[in-house]
Amino acid sequence: MKQSIIINGKTHEIDVDGDMPLLWFLRDRLEFTGTKFGCGSGLCGACTVHVNGQAMRSCITPVSSLVDKKITTIEGLSEHGDHPLQVAWLNNNVPQCGYCQAGQIMNAASLLAVNAAPTDDEIDTAMQGNICRCGTYQRIKKAISEAADTLSKEV
Amino acid sequence: MTISNVSRRAFLKGASIATGGLVIAVALPTNALAEKGIVEATSVKLNAFIHLEENGDTTIYCGRCEMGQGISTALPSAVADEMDADWQRVTVKQGDADERFGPQATGGSASIRVMYQPMREAGATAKAMLIAAAAKVWKTSPDNCFAQSHFVINKTNQQQLGYGELASIAANMPIPKKPTLKNKSDFTYIGKNLPRHDQGEVVVGKRIYGVDTKLPGLKYAAMVHCPVLGGSLKSLDKSDAIKMKGVSDIVEIPRFDVPFGSIGGIAVVADNSWTAQQAVKKLKIEWDLGENVIYNTKEYKQQLVANVKKPATLAAERGDIDNAFKTAKHKMSATYTGGHLSHAPMEPNASVVWVQKESCEVWASTQSPEDIQKVLGQYLKREPTDIVVHVAMAGGAFGRKFKCDYVHEAAVISEKTGLPIQLIWTREEDMRTGYYHSINAQHIEASMDENGHVTGWLHRAAFPSINSLFNPSLERATKQNLEAVTDHLFGVANFRAESGDAKAHTRIGWYRAVYAIFYGFAFGTFADELANKAGKDSFSFVNQLFDNNKNEEQQGQVRRAKEVLAVVANQSEWHKRSSLPEGQAIGLAVHYSFQSYVAMAVHVEVKGNDIKVLNVDCAIDCGQILNLDGATAQMEGAVVMGMSLALSTEITFRDGAVVNSNFHDYPVMRITDMPNVSVHITDSDESPTGLGEPGVAPFAPALSNAVFAASGKRYRDLPFKPLTV
Repeated sequence: MKQSIIINGKTHEIDVDGDMPLLWFLRDRLEFTGTKFGCGSGLCGACTVHVNGQAMRSCITPVSSLVDKKITTIEGLSEHGDHPLQVAWLNNNVPQCGYCQAGQIMNAASLLAVNAAPTDDEIDTAMQGNICRCGTYQRIKKAISEAADTLSKEV
Repeated sequence: MTISNVSRRAFLKGASIATGGLVIAVALPTNALAEKGIVEATSVKLNAFIHLEENGDTTIYCGRCEMGQGISTALPSAVADEMDADWQRVTVKQGDADERFGPQATGGSASIRVMYQPMREAGATAKAMLIAAAAKVWKTSPDNCFAQSHFVINKTNQQQLGYGELASIAANMPIPKKPTLKNKSDFTYIGKNLPRHDQGEVVVGKRIYGVDTKLPGLKYAAMVHCPVLGGSLKSLDKSDAIKMKGVSDIVEIPRFDVPFGSIGGIAVVADNSWTAQQAVKKLKIEWDLGENVIYNTKEYKQQLVANVKKPATLAAERGDIDNAFKTAKHKMSATYTGGHLSHAPMEPNASVVWVQKESCEVWASTQSPEDIQKVLGQYLKREPTDIVVHVAMAGGAFGRKFKCDYVHEAAVISEKTGLPIQLIWTREEDMRTGYYHSINAQHIEASMDENGHVTGWLHRAAFPSINSLFNPSLERATKQNLEAVTDHLFGVANFRAESGDAKAHTRIGWYRAVYAIFYGFAFGTFADELANKAGKDSFSFVNQLFDNNKNEEQQGQVRRAKEVLAVVANQSEWHKRSSLPEGQAIGLAVHYSFQSYVAMAVHVEVKGNDIKVLNVDCAIDCGQILNLDGATAQMEGAVVMGMSLALSTEITFRDGAVVNSNFHDYPVMRITDMPNVSVHITDSDESPTGLGEPGVAPFAPALSNAVFAASGKRYRDLPFKPLTV
């Protein structure tokens, strides 16, 4: 019985060693390169994706643990690249090198899904696992607050 | 029809005529490293490319390497501005390694400084030819026409011709010798907040970095390096690794004793990176570690401190320092240290190389495509220009990706296997196989007269020099390495700079802000210590030090340094500091580096041993700004990097090898530590100067001064709170 995984709404057969972390299944097998390799140990957050809506570090999550789970990557966060966070990221010119930003946005999206109006402290706590070496933290905070405002107006 | 600016060389060959190209000759500077005397000068005269399609679509190439500093927006925007191109119709492309782009090695905060004028000239030249073309069509004089947002307009009758319509005619217009450049008041993009050209791709995960390159038939490599510089392989048992499903090759990479070459290691080639990484762990390797096995940073730093506390090799001298000390009213001395740093960009070193019989093609995140050509050409015994280098977006670099050892290694693996290879270093290899910021010690002794004026300044610095990459037998930093000490803007009549012994036992490299990190720390902190000794406030005292500078040639610099310091003092309300709550204080520092002036006011709260940075005011005068928001972002980032190195990051060597391995034991700043940063940029008409790096330097001294003011505890060693690893 072949096992599969659902990525951005599409079912993919797991045709690799089950121990392989999702990150490398995405990057090397499916060539979805938006999800980044940063540390390989769940320390930096660059590889963050959603598993059934929750932020997860794909670099330390074996594909075998994700059978029939729904994965969302940065490529699938919104159909037209217009998730309120993506819009806020653009409005604030957040990225510098941008390498960590997919992970930042995915982590923030997971936060806003459970807490639509986070305080500054709640943003800090939720985002402290995501490193940005260029130092865009101030803009990340501002963009998350803005996106939260947008979401609250939509409701 | 395509209009291309191509080089005079290409023009002479007739290449541009064949394509109907518009030829624009722009004299570009020589290699930045050659300017510094670090590498041999290679004089090249080259051009940027502007491709203008018949439908008006315009491609502007960026020759300098993008690593997040925003250069691929800034430089093309200067072309577009002078060309009066509509930015909405411009596509920016990163140029491959090509001497026609001028020096592409991207470091020293030099890109805008050296390329601003040539890029403007390229744009202005294109505009002049488009106007000439329109004038020809209308049978009028070019003076009767002007350009505006991708159109040329006839002043007499307001007729318009689009740039695309004019492209093929413009291609045959004469090239103006000296195109007219705009006045500052006419700038459309320069000095404004132009969004980065690639942000849209970043937020949807479509921006392609070096690590994202895919080719048909691509194989994936991971590797382990010899842990000690200068070591070599003693024995290798690869039996367990080669048995793994998906593993195809195991390649020994010998040590190459050339600058930016591999230090040697073992690579595994597999169907994917994960398998390759797992197989590397199954290699049983014995290394002959070589003579650097004696290297222990704890002891080495103590030795550096000893070396700066005794007379050392003279680097520069003026006045009579011995007499100054003899007649001093007050004397004071202090010693400052700092550790090695790893750049740790979020994208570890990665490249794709495919060596074939007739070709070698590279896709890499890099800061120096010409060094890749040089090193791979040397290795493969081919002409450097035969190495095709596609410059990928770098996921951060900070100086690390100036050195192409990781590309060299991918080339070795590809050559030996005949396969297109993607080599990605693990974070651990990235951290342990670096080109580290110099470990360092500085000792300053100063004399003051009865009015608290500094009369003598003895400055000894000891650190392994970057020059050791090119001259491994170097015993200490060179006179040139100490120039920032010798030429410091503080005015001290009697002065001596000395270089303490410091032989390198690892590879030393440029790290964002380079020596300004520790020079800025020592000067900025010691000035505050002197102020306290003299019973003066730090702001007045530092201003006095500047005012005491009687060197005519430095008066303009002194004025600009004082101005940025005044800006942060005002913005941080330094004059109201006595009314801050208990445990809070503001520290100031100012430093000149990369030809720019940066001051910071750091507002902290200290509770016991806890240091919380609340606010940072940061002022920079780097001449004319290209992109205001981009410049602001660079300063915000510089604060964060300054904060990491001030508080927590340090690379430790034990028995010749790096002990740190990943972000748990190399704790860079996280969002929870982020202060409010306010950036104040001087509106200046001066020529543009460095921006990416100079912002890093003043943070640590300003923080040390703030913590002292808040708590009485003086930090003289970077980082203040080292992690025991």
